[in-house]
Amino acid sequence: MRNHFLLLPALLAFAACSSDAPPPAAGAADEATPPEDVVVASDTHFVADLPTYPSVPLPDGLQWITNEDDPVFAAPDAKPGGTYRTYITGFPLTLRLHGPDAASGSYVAPKRSMYMSLVDIHPNTLKFIPALATHWAFGADGKTVYYKLDPRARWSDGEPVTADDYVFSREMRLSDFIVDPFGKNYFTDQIVGVVKHDDHTISVVGSSPKPPDEMLYEYGLSPEPRHFHKLDGDWVKNYDWRLEPTTGAYHTARVEKGRFIELERTANWWAKDLKYYQHRFNVDKIRVEVIRDDDVALQYFLRGELDAYSLATPARWYEKAVGEPFDKGYIHKIQFYNDVPREARGMWLNMDVPLLNDKNIRLGIAYAMNWDAVLRTVMRGDYPRLRMHFEGYYWGYSNPTIQPRGFDLAKADQYFTTAGFTQRGPDGIRTKGGQRLAVNVSYASPDLSSQLVLLREEAKKAGLELNLNLLDPSTWGTQVGEKKHEIVMLTFGTGLTPTFWQHYHSVNAHKPQTNNITNMDDKDLDKLIDEFESGTNLETRLRLSHQIQQIIHDAADYIPSYKIPYVREAYWRWVKLPEGYGTRTSTEMTDPFSLGLLWIDPDTAKETLEARDAGRAFDPVTIVDEKWRVN
Amino acid sequence: MRFRLDPQTKKQWRRFRSIRRGYWSLLIILALLLASVFAELLVNNRALVVHYQGDYYFPTYGAYLPGTTFGLDYQYETNYRELASVLAEKRASSSASAADRGNWVVLPLVPYSAYETDFKPEAFPPYPPNFSAKHYLGTDVTGRDILARLVYGFRLAMAFAVILLFCNYVIGIALGCTMGFWGGAFDLLFQRLIEIWSNVPFLYVIMIIASVIVPNFWTLVIAMVIFGWMNMTWYMRTSTYKEKAREYVSAARALGATNTRIVFVHILPNTISIIVTFIPFSIASGVTALTALDYLGFGLPPPTPSWGELLSQGTANLRAPWIVSSVVAAMSLVLLMVAYIGEAIREAFDPKQFTFYE
Repeated sequence: MRNHFLLLPALLAFAACSSDAPPPAAGAADEATPPEDVVVASDTHFVADLPTYPSVPLPDGLQWITNEDDPVFAAPDAKPGGTYRTYITGFPLTLRLHGPDAASGSYVAPKRSMYMSLVDIHPNTLKFIPALATHWAFGADGKTVYYKLDPRARWSDGEPVTADDYVFSREMRLSDFIVDPFGKNYFTDQIVGVVKHDDHTISVVGSSPKPPDEMLYEYGLSPEPRHFHKLDGDWVKNYDWRLEPTTGAYHTARVEKGRFIELERTANWWAKDLKYYQHRFNVDKIRVEVIRDDDVALQYFLRGELDAYSLATPARWYEKAVGEPFDKGYIHKIQFYNDVPREARGMWLNMDVPLLNDKNIRLGIAYAMNWDAVLRTVMRGDYPRLRMHFEGYYWGYSNPTIQPRGFDLAKADQYFTTAGFTQRGPDGIRTKGGQRLAVNVSYASPDLSSQLVLLREEAKKAGLELNLNLLDPSTWGTQVGEKKHEIVMLTFGTGLTPTFWQHYHSVNAHKPQTNNITNMDDKDLDKLIDEFESGTNLETRLRLSHQIQQIIHDAADYIPSYKIPYVREAYWRWVKLPEGYGTRTSTEMTDPFSLGLLWIDPDTAKETLEARDAGRAFDPVTIVDEKWRVN
Repeated sequence: MRFRLDPQTKKQWRRFRSIRRGYWSLLIILALLLASVFAELLVNNRALVVHYQGDYYFPTYGAYLPGTTFGLDYQYETNYRELASVLAEKRASSSASAADRGNWVVLPLVPYSAYETDFKPEAFPPYPPNFSAKHYLGTDVTGRDILARLVYGFRLAMAFAVILLFCNYVIGIALGCTMGFWGGAFDLLFQRLIEIWSNVPFLYVIMIIASVIVPNFWTLVIAMVIFGWMNMTWYMRTSTYKEKAREYVSAARALGATNTRIVFVHILPNTISIIVTFIPFSIASGVTALTALDYLGFGLPPPTPSWGELLSQGTANLRAPWIVSSVVAAMSLVLLMVAYIGEAIREAFDPKQFTFYE
């Protein structure tokens, strides 16, 4: 089967050459026209001769799987219509999904949520549910997933979504024209092939066998509209502001650069009647305003010009979300506990730094960090301590027994003494032959200062000095990228399963631009990680996962800080949420994009605004929902 | 001393003293400076004196004393506020021994350092001013005493301004004098160089530097000196030019005085009024520059006590008005006093009072 893939690049090259003649539709947004500040939806056909790919017959004996039996999670009584108003703090540098600047900024999540994947994960049961694919099946080789595409699927411009769009998708990601080396790597090393079997059947081939669930999650690639992307040397420039057709409920309708982006619900969106997509994405229009300062945005919100506002920090929840609109019940507050893998927030120790190469020092530092005091005081007791890296992963991947190291001066003393730091200088900081026990802590967000100053004062008690280096974000990024940090404050995001290889495998140690920022280099651990990566049996993988986590914990190269076990938001009372407010995996309550469960009730809106003008009050509402609380 | 004996200087001093608000401002500022030099004795979490088991301890300036020194159960630095209450309790208890009864602690006026965070179990900072807890101006958002941070911030800002002034003046005076004295091509060349150098947007350069390295006190001083020495050269150049043309310089030259002697003994003392007049304003600009940089986040790294950092905390937390009002009041007062001093000096050195119009 592999031989076929070798043919594909050649075919694509041919296809690309044959489309050199300017397609008739391209005139509307010709490269020569200067970019304007206003972009509106227009013709999206830029390619005349669409690349098509050869079909390969399907193997026999595939067991097609689907899932139409899980409960729906959207509210059947949701009212469609209305405009939802939200904000971003910076205007995106491009609307492209790939290539330079496409993955940074606060607009990335909304941008990506306009596209559906092959399959989705049910937000409550965590089982896979159909999306662009109606059925899926696993190949005998353990590394291939077959998908039956929904023949009803359409791009927002009405073109059908076909198998060719998927094959093209990988070709596009491999193309040098889109200048996306990271994506290119992924589609070279991880996804080694996308094969068309007929117009509505494809398969995705990974590089090595994996458990089925993981393949479904990781190989859920998005199609690319073939008719829209003309891949050539000017692609990056030409596609900065072209409005790409989408497969999801919304498409970009109007952009005023630097000011706002407006999304519109696609008329007759193809998935609107599917079981798991009914009654979702209810608002007709989403206006994403650029407001460069969160405090300014708060003022807009309090005036009713934005529909919701995140109250993520304790300061916002307790101090900023107070006053008349809250007391009079115009704005509701919600604290919703979710059950999601927890981000790895905390301090990462670079073991290539001579001082931190000593495990005793690392352990001493871990015991000298009084995170409990920080959480109790600075964080107002709102957040529990994070146990470890990869906490809260589904299906039992997280080692249940690991506990974080608490503030313990006796243990810190014991480890620092073992490391030879027995003397204390006149300021109480330990020394060893003239060397002070001092480490630099690099961080980029000024908000962390309040946590770090307390840690610093407490660490002095153990004879450890923390030098706080508040850096400019780009300098900080460069420092971590080049692994020139000593201790860095940083938060790693999560995935469906633990990503040990990128964080802890020695292939990624001692070299720049990898996620092994602690330079973990342990040959025994490597073996376990390799075994974990290639394992397909869930039980084995769970055992390995626990074992690996224990080794990582014992190495003490990471000091976890805290987790945020809930979502906190404020929203005007006309924003309606389904019964139960959200789902197990909700990370945002008032999110019109990714789950799109909310709707806007025009009657309540009218009532609220009239009441506000008349000074009438409703009951104040603060919801605390603990249905999905895990700890 | 030459200057003190000079009748001209005496006259100027008398004139300065007669301008009351400038004179008083000078006294107050000097007192504040003196006090801030010994701030550890006034605002500190280390006790002034501890009398324990018959021994006297003076922890302020020495090495740290672990809690075990005073019978407490920890190895790290003694918490003297806690110690004071522990000892007081023991004194009061009926079973106290004679040695226990003789133990006492004298704490400074403000028993907090600029760095330590003080949390109360029942509430979250910032805490409003509270005299019984001796947080006379309240605390900032991490529970650090504002008065302590103001005092140490003042000391740092003043030290910064004085060092900056010294460096700027040494370079400015030396170069300005040379330009004025030699004149010609040298003068022309440096005038152009200074004009070009003056056009470098200094604040941006500092921001760029701060984004690449973590600035500390000395890197900030150096950066500010590199872009701040030019001003003085113009004034010194002009006045040297003027003085050089005077008869007494020609006379000195005729008597065979060397260039060095002419510059240092004859010209410089006669330009002193210009230098002295500028000093207060340079101090003020040094303080404001550091505060502005700290406010913008390009100044000294946390947790250094600084007025700019307090100011930015205050503006971000207007619900805790004691933060912003403390620092704004302190800043206004200091700058006002410096301005009064400057005004009085200018007045005292003004030659007009000796001019008689016919």
